[in-house]
Amino acid sequence: MSPERRPDESMTLLTTMMERPLDADYQEAADRRVAAGLPGATSTRTVLVVVLAILTGFLFAVAAQSLRPKPTAAAAVKKELVTRIEALQKHGTDQEAKVAALGKQVRDYEALALQQSGGTDLTSTIKDLEVQAGAVPLTGPGLTLTLDDAASTDAGADAGSRPSSGFQEGRVTSGDLQIIVNGLWGAGAEAISINGHRLSSTAAIRFAGQAIIVDFRPLSRPYVITALGDSQGMQQLFEPSFAGLYLSQLTDEYKIRSIMAGSDSLTVPGDSAVRLEVAEPVGPPVGSTTPGATTLQQGTTAPKRSAGAGVAPTGTGTSTARSPSDTPSGTTDSGTGSPASPTSQENPS
Amino acid sequence: MIPVLGLLAGLAVGLFLDPSVPVWLQPYLPIAVIAALDAVFGALRAILDGIFNDKVFVVSFLSNVVVAAFIVFLGDQLGVGSQLSTGVVVVLGVRIFSNVASIRRHLFKA
Repeated sequence: MSPERRPDESMTLLTTMMERPLDADYQEAADRRVAAGLPGATSTRTVLVVVLAILTGFLFAVAAQSLRPKPTAAAAVKKELVTRIEALQKHGTDQEAKVAALGKQVRDYEALALQQSGGTDLTSTIKDLEVQAGAVPLTGPGLTLTLDDAASTDAGADAGSRPSSGFQEGRVTSGDLQIIVNGLWGAGAEAISINGHRLSSTAAIRFAGQAIIVDFRPLSRPYVITALGDSQGMQQLFEPSFAGLYLSQLTDEYKIRSIMAGSDSLTVPGDSAVRLEVAEPVGPPVGSTTPGATTLQQGTTAPKRSAGAGVAPTGTGTSTARSPSDTPSGTTDSGTGSPASPTSQENPS
Repeated sequence: MIPVLGLLAGLAVGLFLDPSVPVWLQPYLPIAVIAALDAVFGALRAILDGIFNDKVFVVSFLSNVVVAAFIVFLGDQLGVGSQLSTGVVVVLGVRIFSNVASIRRHLFKA
């Protein structure tokens, strides 16, 4: 150390630590040995040093082994399950894509077969019916309504002020979704999907525990409702309706977040679970006066009208007739689940 | 050379036997390892300085380990175990670094 005062003398602790990290003992012992006429350093091959070296190595090895986090049996099982779930999910997505591709192929073949058998005029009918049944993906203008649970989903003191009590009040319930979806149908929506799940005429919105199930598939928040149709007109019809008032009340009272936005190009996917349930001959042939055929034709002509021309009047009519009977049962059934593709059988005559 | 062989032998024995450390000892293990590292690097530097002394090495090694473990133990009893551990690690880490720097100066003249 230099005799004059160092500028950093107030930090002696740090200075000593940085500059003289070696214990003073070594220097003192060396000085003592030199004074006694021995060389300053002892041998590094003494028994003491070797024993301590072995001890040090042992300590390092033990510490490294015991402090390394060991994979437990539970973690291994969990990892196994995660891989299996991921593999199965991928499998499911692949199969869904395959179903969609095969469905498109089937429809192409149907169109071809119809053309070959001379029933070309049925193609547009089939197209309309498929649109109505939700079997094909659709693109067009529409609204997206995003619902999310309240930011603070802490339960209020008076549970039971809402019909679906027992849950936290700030949560979106299946009942809310049912009312809003029915309101959108009533406002003239032509096709609706929730979080990418198409609502066909047989789809149900239900509760299972805390989760909302649409068409037997669980959803996670936020809930994005995509409704195709005239976005301006739908918004004007929806907001003053019961569902619109209900939604604004949800926002005001329970702080459920909702964002409604119109867009020019939205896509709803097709319902991959559509299957043929009832098939009956339609059209001009002989037995057209049976009661079954007439009811079916009523069922099919109404959607055709609504899909072809302006959607508002028929849409309103069907859904106002529908919503009171279906809201209690927890579904959005339109009641006309049968004509999924009534013309997929070929015309017999 | 012989101490290095001893170190390797100790490592091999520890890896081979894989003894289970009692739970009460586990919090002190990392600190003890760092204290031992400090003593080892100090000894290396002393060897290069030409002032190595085996008794000093053994005593500094044992006292480092014991004092570090004791500080952690005391911190645990006082409820500031993690803070005191951090302090010990910082001090020993600085010592290790400067010892290594000195060793480097000896070996590479840089």
